[in-house]
Amino acid sequence: MKTKTMLVLLAFGAFFAAAGPALAHHAFAAEYDVDKPLELKGTLTKMEWVNPHGWLYIATKQPDGSTKNWTIETSGPAQMSRRGLKKTDFVAGMALTVKAYQGIKDPALANGRTLVLADGRSFYIGSVGGPNDGADK
Amino acid sequence: MKCVFDRSAVAAVGLFTASLLVACSTPAAENPAAPAGSPFRPVASIREVMNSVIDPSVDEVWNAVGSVVDQGGLTDRAPIKDEEWAEVRRHALIVSEAANLLLMHNRPVAPPGAPSLAPGVELTPEEIRVLIDKNPEGWDFYVQQFQDSMTPALAAIEKKDAQALFDAGEKIDETCENCHQTFWYPKAVNSSR
Repeated sequence: MKTKTMLVLLAFGAFFAAAGPALAHHAFAAEYDVDKPLELKGTLTKMEWVNPHGWLYIATKQPDGSTKNWTIETSGPAQMSRRGLKKTDFVAGMALTVKAYQGIKDPALANGRTLVLADGRSFYIGSVGGPNDGADK
Repeated sequence: MKCVFDRSAVAAVGLFTASLLVACSTPAAENPAAPAGSPFRPVASIREVMNSVIDPSVDEVWNAVGSVVDQGGLTDRAPIKDEEWAEVRRHALIVSEAANLLLMHNRPVAPPGAPSLAPGVELTPEEIRVLIDKNPEGWDFYVQQFQDSMTPALAAIEKKDAQALFDAGEKIDETCENCHQTFWYPKAVNSSR
């Protein structure tokens, strides 16, 4: 392969490299703890609108004043679009509230269920097959 | 354009072969004999084919298109140059053809002695084997649904249509999950993608 072509492919690979944590397909209960529901109020630092799941990155203030960063898995972008949520609804720094379940292996990882934006609009962002907690009602 | 696709096809075969070599470098001690008359000789287990061949490449297909919001605003990403589209096509071909590897019924589920990856939630390899053997037609059906889900992605890549490639991503994920729910964690009523 010519050097130029190789460089293009390397650059392409780097550009598209990171989309959320690398999670294989597992059952919900294998990755998230249904006994650890969370309500996270914070600000959006990053959002990835990508298949097969979207990702929200939010910063929350801790009682001691420190910041904790969360990575939140959402349903796929097509599902969120059908529920009325658009990628243009997101702006870095916006306030939001997310109900979620905490990760088992990674305590800073969570699976989102509902998202409430600063303007009060609420969206179900859970994956198909999540807990029957009524979040999708 | 034809030249690009021809090169990418050659590259795809090379990458696919390399992926298999990687998969095979982890010994799957069980190497069952092929059925009488079958020329297929599986070496890697289903788990190894998934982890070494399918997962890495389907991630490249999914991640090729999407959007990111950060401090810099909203950025849409998609392949632009011919080489970039050819790279995505290589991965889409790997996934599509790797589905055929899953149709080899004498392929072990996991290396001998390998445990469930999520005990109590996902079945053991032995339990999965029982389900597959009880329902081989169902297994083939789900694998071929998965393979078929790649067709719109390949067509989108051929047309260099980023939106169509993005739209194809949901169905690919759905067919993955359908099979996993049937054979890997059928008892996990509350399961997620």
